[in-house]
Amino acid sequence: METIVFKSRYYTAYQPEKGRCFFAEIQGKRIKMTFCQLLAFRQKVLSIDIDAHFNPEENRHGIEILTLCNREHLFVLDTLEIIDLKMFVEGIFAMSELHTLVSA
Amino acid sequence: MKDLVRQRLSINVDVMDLLNEQIVKEAHSSSVYLAMASWCDHNALNNSAEFFYEQSKEERDHMMRIFKFINDNGGMAISPEVTDIPHDFDSLEGIFETSLEQEIAITKSIHNIVLKCRKVNDLATESFLQWFVKEQMEEEQTMRKALDLFDLMGTDGIALKLIDERIPKIKE
Ligand SMILES: [Fe+2]
Ligand SMILES: [Fe+2]
Repeated sequence: METIVFKSRYYTAYQPEKGRCFFAEIQGKRIKMTFCQLLAFRQKVLSIDIDAHFNPEENRHGIEILTLCNREHLFVLDTLEIIDLKMFVEGIFAMSELHTLVSA
Repeated sequence: MKDLVRQRLSINVDVMDLLNEQIVKEAHSSSVYLAMASWCDHNALNNSAEFFYEQSKEERDHMMRIFKFINDNGGMAISPEVTDIPHDFDSLEGIFETSLEQEIAITKSIHNIVLKCRKVNDLATESFLQWFVKEQMEEEQTMRKALDLFDLMGTDGIALKLIDERIPKIKE
């Protein structure tokens, strides 16, 4: 059994009933992440400069290459997918915050 | 549903981001003080040089304090990139003025994190930061004491040498 932690337009995060890890579904691939890897993933995604995507001199193709879990996975994402990915990452952590609030 | 984020991380994740930004600021301060020490060394202001070497070391200690705090609490501390270090100064007085401004900016930044902690109920980080709030008061006082010396003695001729001799006392 697993529960959905958060779902954005393109991505879903799950957490299994047992074991302390996360699963993220990105472009049809299921990626297992420990919490440390999730933090590293968050850091990477949030530091992507989305403004550069709207400036043809900085990011001409509107494409971002993202490696995950010490380069075990590699994704090529377009502008829309990156915007959604940022919301996805924020969503995962916002759920935890909500959790803290309702259980306080 | 169990909250895996909370199980792993004892501090608020947005506060963690601010702490990582603070790491960059402390590292930057440390490098600026090092540049100031170098200038003092070149201008034969030995006590002032010593003062800024020590100051630089302290800022690095502050940085490490925050770095360890993040990692000890399940977060991810990020090793800072330091850029924009000035090496041109026009006088010792100017250096102390810049130092005071730098310390005031750091104080504001620490206070800002404390306020964020209150907003998100991160009591652990708030209590960790109390040490920094106090430390910043002392840092500002030290720099003001140095500037008082200039007001008192001026900057002409021998005055600069006399001020340099009194610098070791301002930290007391
Ligand atoms: Fe500091
Ligand atoms: Fe300081």
